[in-house]
Amino acid sequence: MVWPRTLAAYAAVLLVALTINFILPRIAPGDPLSYLLPEDVLAEMTPEAEQRVLAEFGLDAPLTEQFGRYAAGVFQGDLGTSVRYGQPVWDVVLGRLPWTLLLMGWALAISAALGTALGILAARFRGQKGDIITTVTVLFLGSAPVFWVAMLLITVFSAELGWLPSFGAAPLTAFPGSSAYYWGVVERLIMPVTALTIAQTAGVWLTARSAMTVALGRDYVTFARAKGARERRVFYVHAFRNACLPIYTNVMISIGGLLGGALVVETVFSYPGIGSLILEGVEARDYNLLQGVFLVATLSVVLANLVADLSYPLLDPRARR
Amino acid sequence: MSENIALPATPAPAGKPGWQLSRVQQTGAGLFAVLVVAVVVGPMLSPYGASETVCAPFAQPSAAHLLGCNDVGQDLLTGILTGGRVSLGIGLATALVTTTLATIYAVTAAYRGGAVDLAAMRFVDAIMALPFLPLVIVLGAFFGGSIFVQVAILCLVMWAQPVRELRAQALNLRSAEYVSASRAMGASAWRIVTRHIVPELAPLIVPQFVRVAHNAILIESALSFLGLGDPVQKSWGTILFHANARTAFLTDAWLWWVMPPGLLIALSVVSLALIGHGVGDRRNEGTVAATERRGQGRRRRTEDAFEASDVTVGYGDHRAVDQVSLTVANGDTLGLVGESGSGKSTLAMAAIRLLPPTGHIDDGSFWLGSTDLLELTPADLADLRGQRIALVPQSAMNALNPVQTVRTQIVEAIRLHRSVSKQQGIARAAELLDLVHLPRDRLSAYPHELSGGMRQRVVIAIALANDPEVLIADEPTTGLDVLVQAEIMALLRSLSARLGLTVLFVTHDLPLIASAASRLAIMQAGRVVEEGAPEDLARQPRHSHTKALFDSVPHLRDAKLWQRNPAAGPVLLDIDDVAVTFNRGLGARLRGASPVPAVRGVSLQMRPGEVVGLVGGSGSGKTTVARIALGLIAPDRGHVTVAGQPPRPGTVAHMVFQDPYQSMRPAMRVEDVVGEPLRIAGQTLEPVAEAVAAVRLPSDPGFLRRPVGSLSGGQRQRVAFARAIVTRPRLILADEPTSMLDQSLRAGLLGLMEELRREQGAAFLFITHDLPIARHFCDRIAVMHEGRIVEQGPADEIAFNPTNAYTKSLIAAAEFP
Repeated sequence: MVWPRTLAAYAAVLLVALTINFILPRIAPGDPLSYLLPEDVLAEMTPEAEQRVLAEFGLDAPLTEQFGRYAAGVFQGDLGTSVRYGQPVWDVVLGRLPWTLLLMGWALAISAALGTALGILAARFRGQKGDIITTVTVLFLGSAPVFWVAMLLITVFSAELGWLPSFGAAPLTAFPGSSAYYWGVVERLIMPVTALTIAQTAGVWLTARSAMTVALGRDYVTFARAKGARERRVFYVHAFRNACLPIYTNVMISIGGLLGGALVVETVFSYPGIGSLILEGVEARDYNLLQGVFLVATLSVVLANLVADLSYPLLDPRARR
Repeated sequence: MSENIALPATPAPAGKPGWQLSRVQQTGAGLFAVLVVAVVVGPMLSPYGASETVCAPFAQPSAAHLLGCNDVGQDLLTGILTGGRVSLGIGLATALVTTTLATIYAVTAAYRGGAVDLAAMRFVDAIMALPFLPLVIVLGAFFGGSIFVQVAILCLVMWAQPVRELRAQALNLRSAEYVSASRAMGASAWRIVTRHIVPELAPLIVPQFVRVAHNAILIESALSFLGLGDPVQKSWGTILFHANARTAFLTDAWLWWVMPPGLLIALSVVSLALIGHGVGDRRNEGTVAATERRGQGRRRRTEDAFEASDVTVGYGDHRAVDQVSLTVANGDTLGLVGESGSGKSTLAMAAIRLLPPTGHIDDGSFWLGSTDLLELTPADLADLRGQRIALVPQSAMNALNPVQTVRTQIVEAIRLHRSVSKQQGIARAAELLDLVHLPRDRLSAYPHELSGGMRQRVVIAIALANDPEVLIADEPTTGLDVLVQAEIMALLRSLSARLGLTVLFVTHDLPLIASAASRLAIMQAGRVVEEGAPEDLARQPRHSHTKALFDSVPHLRDAKLWQRNPAAGPVLLDIDDVAVTFNRGLGARLRGASPVPAVRGVSLQMRPGEVVGLVGGSGSGKTTVARIALGLIAPDRGHVTVAGQPPRPGTVAHMVFQDPYQSMRPAMRVEDVVGEPLRIAGQTLEPVAEAVAAVRLPSDPGFLRRPVGSLSGGQRQRVAFARAIVTRPRLILADEPTSMLDQSLRAGLLGLMEELRREQGAAFLFITHDLPIARHFCDRIAVMHEGRIVEQGPADEIAFNPTNAYTKSLIAAAEFP
């Protein structure tokens, strides 16, 4: 029974995203055509030509029919054509997505490991000297706008020290596949991943710290001590194993926010992922492109949540059927 | 049965803890206040306008322009301070609108419940699963970037965020007993929401407001940074957008152009995070690591298996155990009996050195044979725990690790102390399950797959895994159903006899232990006031507290304590073949919950002034019957009349709830609690003082204005009775009114009920799991089991000549616990 209900919930999310996409150009101020065609083309069009374009895009049909056609199109992979690139939006987005996923994947892995490790440490020394200073520091790092951190990283490591390149994802001069190329990719990955990791770690740290504190106060921890388990075993086998559950859930939920961070960071480093794409879309008023990116972003987050939902029972026997 | 109830002279501090700020929160609030003042006042003090060209483009910092100028020659400091108004303003405005909307949405969903709640929450889930920033960017691109549009967009995206938590809390509040109580008085939905739910929700709305403000400031800055901000207004985000566009971070200008706005965003956000963070952190402040100090080493004197000598234990400044000495002879069972707060559990946990972090052993020693437990190093102590001295802890329901199987947990206990192979460990674990009468296939079960009684048996198996000399059992049966309680007690008795265990049995339940222990020690206020064999203490108690404890638990077969004339008159309450099934609604079906038949055909009649006992275990449906009689639940089948009318809350019948700590809001004053039924009925508040006097509480204005949170449990339950009788109802439904109170208070409360019955002529439906009490107090008894009344009749008839098997087992459990 879990399956159909979970899937229905995720279908609902996609439906909401589709509806938002469908409604936006129709309720936003201005002529729907202005969202489809570049301004210079629009300015030269006669009313008859406009009618023809409207008919061509199906904009003269009843709304329900339009929505049906739109949804059907999306499910066939048709997200419209990008004005900026003159290509199908789907192709443009797919070309950029791997770079964003590369950034996010590293940041997610590092921040999850780092945040958990530091959070456990903090739980261990909770209430002792240095706890408040650590807390404030971590909260501050988590509160700094991620694009600002990225700018400061460039200032220090590119402008001042000249250690790392601050632009793009791959060296333009090296031949793809060569070791110089891969090294260039790694070099360009370091700063964006660092900026994202800094923003992301604070949340994991907080969750891990409080989850450990909660678990350490549970009756089963006291009972484990009464059984004769040493502190180390109590801490890692009993408390940490249980603290993993909220940590895992929280890390998976934070993927949506991480995606937002990645979009902003990319614009600072001119990293060619979907974040830079979204900015280009904003500058060119390429509405199809923006909506396509939004839809793909939603789809990615929904997939991540689905993975989280389906894998959670592996961690928690109570969620198994 | 005298009514000497102690009125504690000092009221507990009646403050609202929800509003007291911790140090972390104060720091955050102070920082945020400074920032707000700076951005409000700062621009007024500046000689320049934020958008005026006043110097050369890219001018470096100077005395006139402390942070230099931007690319079009505007003073950066003025711009940054002015920009703060927009950034903070948007954050706060968004938070205000969002939390208001979210509160309305959450309370509506929670209050309506069922399918409405389900649909509302699925919608919230869907909104929450959308990636925020891309959505905000798309919306921003379509709708433009004016400040109002930005706030609207942020609200549109963020309103769902606080809903989940607020709704969860509102749902808790909706099922809180004081809301049930208010409903039982006939209060309208509007009254319940505005008087009870929203005031309690308020402290939780604040952190939500803070969190939304925190996120809104960050998202707004990202939006503006991407060039989607208001082009004519400066904000911290747009300043950074321009700095980025001019690649200021590659020049020295990063120090005065990039650094300050980002720092200010970070500071505002962190100050809000600190305010929000402090909420969960307060508990921990002032906590010190467990320290254990002891007096000079004492000589081991006796050959007893276990001894506590002159033990003093404290929590902070409070002395919980005061110079207590106890011995338990080899193979004996000592019952350590006391009421809540007497220090009995503290003593037990100190013996195995498992006090909570704030506790400290100040003096004395614990001897296990010739080993001084307080002298041991942590490693030696760990070796000893579970091997020579074992614990069956309080709330054993939660003592098992939820993510490990029973097998893993038993084998762990064995292998911690014995170097045996895994296979041998499993074989031993199977034997242990035999020992506690659990089928061996339960080894592969997880704790949540076991009932409470079964979990308790597993815990006992773990405690006995290594044949300990001494077993400390700390309220091992609390929270279990009466019959299960009896089974577990029987098991513990037979095991301790068979294995020759020395047992320290801690309990508040005197009859439970009286027949099982060879000696009893009575604790009160941190001291052992009397010790001796159970028979001796029962016959000749020397201490008044011992006497009060024994008096409060009449034996089933003693002479009936309350004798009344047979009730006469027309039928007051007529329940005719009613049945109710829960989880039948659309919402429950969508949730996948299966229907629960709670009451399956119950008939019961009561006459004026009669006292009827409705007796049954947990989940037997007895409380549901009371709610049907009150008119809170409409039966699916059968019909109910009260005084010839269909029941309506707040008219003929009133209810007294089980837990006086839950059934009234602690912040309400005594007079408001007692006056609530009158207010609902639209009557004057005159009878309040009279009702309070009738329950033998002081009725002076000083007492009437005290918040009920400052009263003791016994006083609160009296207030609950005052509230029930204030409209002079003819029928009072009392739902386990004494079960949450200490034993020595029970007799007084029963005496009060009898007085109220006589003075007010009210009939009582007395709901309880305690058959002996029901037999003494009630005229008639109806025994409920699995939604049916299995037997009813005159109290003595049921107690002495039961015909039903379930009734018989209840009586057996009461006679030989």
